[in-house]
Amino acid sequence: MTINKDPSLHSIRHGCLRVLTMCLLLLTAWPLTGCEQFEKRDQRFYYRALWNFSLRDNLKELDIDFNGIDFGHSHLYENLLLTGAADVPAIEDVARQETLRFIASRPTLPPNEEAIAPNYMKLAWRAQNTFDEAHALHRSTYDIYVADLSPAEQDRAIHNVLAYYQKSAYAITPHRLDHHRLDSLPYSKAFRQKFPLFNATIWAYHYLQVAVYDPLGAAPDLSAKQRAVQPILDTYHHYLRHPPVHWTFMPLVDEYSPRFAAQYPAIANIFDNLHMLHDTISDILSSELFPTWQAKRAEIYRVLDTYYLATADSTNPMIIRDQPLPHHLH
Amino acid sequence: MPWMFFIVLTGWLFGPWGTAWALDHDNLDPNRPVQLEDAYPIPHGEIGVEGGVRVNDRRAGSTQLIYQPQILYGAFMNTQIEIQSDIFTDPHTLRGTNQSGDLRLGVLYNFNTETLLWPALAVRVEGIFPTGVRSQGVDTQLTGILTRSFGRLRFHANAGYTILSRPRDVERHGVYRLVGAVSYPIGYPFRFRETLIVDVYTQQSDLIGQRNYTGAEIGIRHQLSSRIVLDMGMGTEFDGPSDRSAINGTIGLSIGF
Repeated sequence: MTINKDPSLHSIRHGCLRVLTMCLLLLTAWPLTGCEQFEKRDQRFYYRALWNFSLRDNLKELDIDFNGIDFGHSHLYENLLLTGAADVPAIEDVARQETLRFIASRPTLPPNEEAIAPNYMKLAWRAQNTFDEAHALHRSTYDIYVADLSPAEQDRAIHNVLAYYQKSAYAITPHRLDHHRLDSLPYSKAFRQKFPLFNATIWAYHYLQVAVYDPLGAAPDLSAKQRAVQPILDTYHHYLRHPPVHWTFMPLVDEYSPRFAAQYPAIANIFDNLHMLHDTISDILSSELFPTWQAKRAEIYRVLDTYYLATADSTNPMIIRDQPLPHHLH
Repeated sequence: MPWMFFIVLTGWLFGPWGTAWALDHDNLDPNRPVQLEDAYPIPHGEIGVEGGVRVNDRRAGSTQLIYQPQILYGAFMNTQIEIQSDIFTDPHTLRGTNQSGDLRLGVLYNFNTETLLWPALAVRVEGIFPTGVRSQGVDTQLTGILTRSFGRLRFHANAGYTILSRPRDVERHGVYRLVGAVSYPIGYPFRFRETLIVDVYTQQSDLIGQRNYTGAEIGIRHQLSSRIVLDMGMGTEFDGPSDRSAINGTIGLSIGF
């Protein structure tokens, strides 16, 4: 080995290192000075329990279809952004067919949504975090409904996951929102009017997500649960082949799983509000009222903070105030 | 200790847990399988157990095996705590700050997620405690981390400086390390199970006057199941002191629960 003990070279290197360290500290401290686009990551792990992943382990077919659904929204948002929602075939034919091909690939694991929609994630991370938290609640409730739990244990588990969800700063309000008013904003329906096929495909996803609760809850064992969800899976795949473009509004939980909605109204409201938020963001990304990405981001965050997050409950004008929740579900 | 670690790993792999949810194979941690770290911690509340074996065939001196057990915990929002202890076969040290059996306690804090304007930025502070073979003094490492994506291609940069509290003989009082890397999810839009990572690095040698260790690594992280990520990598050091690596290979596992 060669050892160079030249002290001048040593001091030069030390000087360079000091400059490098200063640059690093500046780089890390600069964002702390405040910036509209400086956002926290704020990712939270799911509620940990022995019943985690019961759905994946026991009802693979349904789980695989839910994994396919995870692709759809992100892929849509990314393509709406990149095309400026100006290219109808790029959305209705290309992006929709890619989504259907992914679903048909029978994914056994959920896809990485940041890889699907890197630009959308950078545009509206807080909205994505809101989706992630609500989707984790969705997954937890499916797991609980599939797990081998007594009715009392199931009820307790549902309340625990709801309580965990509501601790998040990204929790959607558990109150019933006025969806028809939310669907009457100046840009509402922009997406479904431009892209009726993809919109009907999205609503087909939401049908599957809300329609399985009551059949799963009523079935006494795993084989019965598999039999109970099969007709819903068949209907869902029929909708994928023939999107229900005649639907005028998204599927609601109490239409397809009224028992679940009656037993857990807060969760049913959260899921309906979640699906409405998906529609609202699709409309914002499709609307010409917001010609720039910055304008779209500002509107997404405005509706999120004003109408959807539970942190806005005290001032939210979209809450239907004459339908109070049972106290224990607040 | 490494054997106990692998028994625990095996227990997790083949134990009663079955498959589970999603460990993020796009979240890059040092040594799994390359030395680069990205700016994102594991989610708040997650526990990660990671481990691997590295074979280092050096240009001068004997080939070395390194076991790399590590535990991560998302202790707070945007904050990850790491406990690590590398165990080497002879020779028990290749680097002045890294002795076999040293206990390394680190904290990774993420300032922000990436937005249209800002890259993701993080800082990592690590204390290296002299619990290992012929180790002395508590060393301190500070690393700035940046992640920026362009489409699906993610660029990462690490710039770190390690201060030795009790350097020996002609050892430096501190050494710097710079790493640049790209990662890319393979298989989009039909498959989301693999991430390819390539990095280049230069690290100041431990002894005053020696050239930097400069090399490159390539690795892949594969989502084996929802809870388990398998990684493999290899690399070489093409410039540096005579004991630099001719070729090295790594295989490891990450388990999140």
